[in-house]
Amino acid sequence: MKTPDIMIGLEVHIQLDTKTKLFCSCSTKAHAPNTSVCPVCLGHPGSKPVLNKKTVEFGVMLGLALNCDILPAINFSRKTYFYPDMSKNYQITQYEVPLAQKGKIALDSGKEISISRLHLEEDPASLEHKDEFSLVDYNRSGIPLIELVTEPVMNTPDEAREFMKKLLGILRYLKIFDMTEGTVKADANVSIKESNFSRVEIKNITGFREIERAIEYEVQRQREAVKKNEKIVRETRGWDAPQGITRPQRLKETEEDYGYIFDPDLVTISITAAFKKSVAEKLPELPVKKSARFVKQFKIDAVDSQVISADPEVAAMFEEVAKKANPILSAHWIRRELLKILSTKSLAESKITSQHLAELFILIDKKAITQRTGQEIMQKLGEKPFSPKDFVEKHGLSAVADSHELEKLCADAVKENPSAVKDYLAGEEKAFNFLVGKVMAKTKGRARPDIITPIIKKLVKK
Amino acid sequence: MNIREFLSNAKKGSIDVKEHSAKVLQELKKINKEYFYLNAMAESPGFGRGKISGLPISVKDCLCVKGMESTAGSAILKGYVPLFDATAVERCRKDGAFILGKTAQDEFGFGSFNANVGNGFKIPLNPIDKNRVCGGSSGGAAGLAKKASFPHVALAESTGGSIVAPAAFCGVVGMCPTYGRVSRYGLIDYANSLDKIGPIAQSVEDTAFILELIAGHDIKDSTSSTEKVDSYISALSKGIKGKTIGILEEGFGEGVDPALAKRVKDAISKLESLGAKTARISLPLNSKYSLESYYVLATAEASTNLAKYCGMRYGAHENLHGSFNEYFTEVRSKNLGPEAKRRILLGTFARMAGYSAKFYSKAGKVRTLIIDEYKKAFKKVDLIASPTMPIIAPTFDEVKKLTPLQQYKMDLLTVGPNLAGLPHISVPCGDVKGMPVGLQLIADHFNESLLFSAGGSYENS
Repeated sequence: MKTPDIMIGLEVHIQLDTKTKLFCSCSTKAHAPNTSVCPVCLGHPGSKPVLNKKTVEFGVMLGLALNCDILPAINFSRKTYFYPDMSKNYQITQYEVPLAQKGKIALDSGKEISISRLHLEEDPASLEHKDEFSLVDYNRSGIPLIELVTEPVMNTPDEAREFMKKLLGILRYLKIFDMTEGTVKADANVSIKESNFSRVEIKNITGFREIERAIEYEVQRQREAVKKNEKIVRETRGWDAPQGITRPQRLKETEEDYGYIFDPDLVTISITAAFKKSVAEKLPELPVKKSARFVKQFKIDAVDSQVISADPEVAAMFEEVAKKANPILSAHWIRRELLKILSTKSLAESKITSQHLAELFILIDKKAITQRTGQEIMQKLGEKPFSPKDFVEKHGLSAVADSHELEKLCADAVKENPSAVKDYLAGEEKAFNFLVGKVMAKTKGRARPDIITPIIKKLVKK
Repeated sequence: MNIREFLSNAKKGSIDVKEHSAKVLQELKKINKEYFYLNAMAESPGFGRGKISGLPISVKDCLCVKGMESTAGSAILKGYVPLFDATAVERCRKDGAFILGKTAQDEFGFGSFNANVGNGFKIPLNPIDKNRVCGGSSGGAAGLAKKASFPHVALAESTGGSIVAPAAFCGVVGMCPTYGRVSRYGLIDYANSLDKIGPIAQSVEDTAFILELIAGHDIKDSTSSTEKVDSYISALSKGIKGKTIGILEEGFGEGVDPALAKRVKDAISKLESLGAKTARISLPLNSKYSLESYYVLATAEASTNLAKYCGMRYGAHENLHGSFNEYFTEVRSKNLGPEAKRRILLGTFARMAGYSAKFYSKAGKVRTLIIDEYKKAFKKVDLIASPTMPIIAPTFDEVKKLTPLQQYKMDLLTVGPNLAGLPHISVPCGDVKGMPVGLQLIADHFNESLLFSAGGSYENS
């Protein structure tokens, strides 16, 4: 196999959407600083952690969704280091035995990205730097995280972005991650052939678009450094998103020494076959499978299918609509027009129902309204939903198919725009579109272009 | 007056509990002035209603008592006032106990004599001879249990022998239950996989009474056992007939005071006369490796437990200046005592990458082997008997001459059952040079009842 030019591995931290924290019963949803804290997540002497079992279920769910092996028994360990955001100066994590290992995510190209392990751990508190002080907010202390580690098998920044996007899609399906409030952070290790793959770790990248940017920057930085005969040192760098650069944080000549020991306050948790089975039975159909089924069942475009399947709500909506309207047309419109609306709000927030969409798509499919009217109605639906059928009737928006009326309107347009006619006859295609546009304006967009085009053509050739 | 008598008198009305409590507090102040058994004391007599209403209970400083400064004997926790009661304390309080105060201990439990107290703390004095140590680390608990003229049980804690050692040195009963028998919730940890909470009192009966009250599963401690709690009080009168006592060879050999060994042998003969059988038994693995295994595991865990004490959130603070590293280094340097520093260094070394496999992981494997050795022994015998401590309580001068290693060796006979999480009891059995001697009995996991049967028989004979 050819040596790749770039090697990228990711370490992703996903906040789990549980009601309570990993080791105490504090809420995970507090906003005002230090309002969701207790002796356990503050690390008070005498307090003891008690595992939130829901997190194990969520972890097993993700492990199964990523085709991982689930370990039969898991332990927690203490990772000791001193930092002001750490309430105990050790983090409870899994070290010796993770929750799951050896999984994968397939990219659209078919390439499989291997996942070496995923484990549960607690989030530290968050720090806020104010003037010369740093303030600590312990609301985040003890929030459950899943750390997922990939093999360094991604070879382009784009692959890393796609991996993250696929992962987020899966999380969305599993409903174990809060898409609006939760955060997904990643550390990326990036190395290039020119430096003999000397590994640099970039810390703290939030969001999948940032991943691509950060890695792109880092590859470029390393290449330029090599060109200047600089040595790429093993180090940790931080991603400065506003500046769009990575900055050195610390040299990494040896492995960090966290002095791991088993956390003796916690007991071994058995993951029984019966438990795994019960979780597996609850797993939803995941994007890759769903997309393939849509293509097979509804004969829709493969890319439309992939895009629609990435979001469970949208996919469910498509499936409803496809029962009533032409699936191919529905998929096409959902991907292009509905998703435009959903860039600013969720499907639930938009209150658009499958009935609304089905009515609209049937009208378009029957050519009862023009594409343009269809787009306009879709936009209005995004603002406040209504019955497209009633709307079209009420506002007289059905496509003008009366050829007599259309011929008259076309003739008027030609008569009123002699210069456009002249330009068209001189070979300017744009001028023809101008005339079509004029007719459209007269009909408020209701004229079907496939009908008026030949009429105008006939008129200007006379 | 034992607990049973106190409670029945209080019920009959021949004791006015309120009056009694005030007297207790007065006596306590007097004792403390002279012997330094308490790090914190109740300001006024306070107790609730319940089946032990007004019963005086003291709490080792490492157990959290809501609203009462709890420092585990360390200057670094000065000012820490817990927001909650330890489960053991809560269970006593729920039934009406009068919580007297926080008893003195070695800093975080790091010692066998209660001479390693935290910076600024007073060393408790032996109730029989003030020139001698109380034993540790629950020295204040044992000293007070001996000295108090009022009915009283001390809630103590043992990691490597900290309940039975001071009990033996002070001439009282110390009962250390099976690991997980009593919830550790609210315990300021020394080594979580070894820490156990148990009572110290003047009689076996009193320890049985309180253990029955505090034992049992607690959802707030994942390592607490769901095993059913026996009736320890009814076990007291069950006798020892037909039970086999294994006489531990290593308990009577090198390093053990012969005069003291003689007292213990006499006590075993007494049990024989009450119907017990005896057998000789040897635990070679235990005697060879338990100390090493114990000190590696205990210090490794302790070094992570103590990491949180950094001058933020609670306890000792210093003026803010410099970086976080400089700040917490100053707080720790100033406020931790030398033995705490030594154990942090030892423990951190034992779990460092590259050494962890050699020390920390290996010590864990050795512990498993030692548990196996005990388990095999309990197929042949019901109890294992030895002296609790190899010597009588030493004088302060004698202690000063000991190296840290010699001090660690004092735990020779107590560390085995602690490492294996086995229940054990120390019962006073005579004296040498006027100083008390303790008989240590060890039983199989969750067989506290048998210890109470044996201890009860001996006590009543």
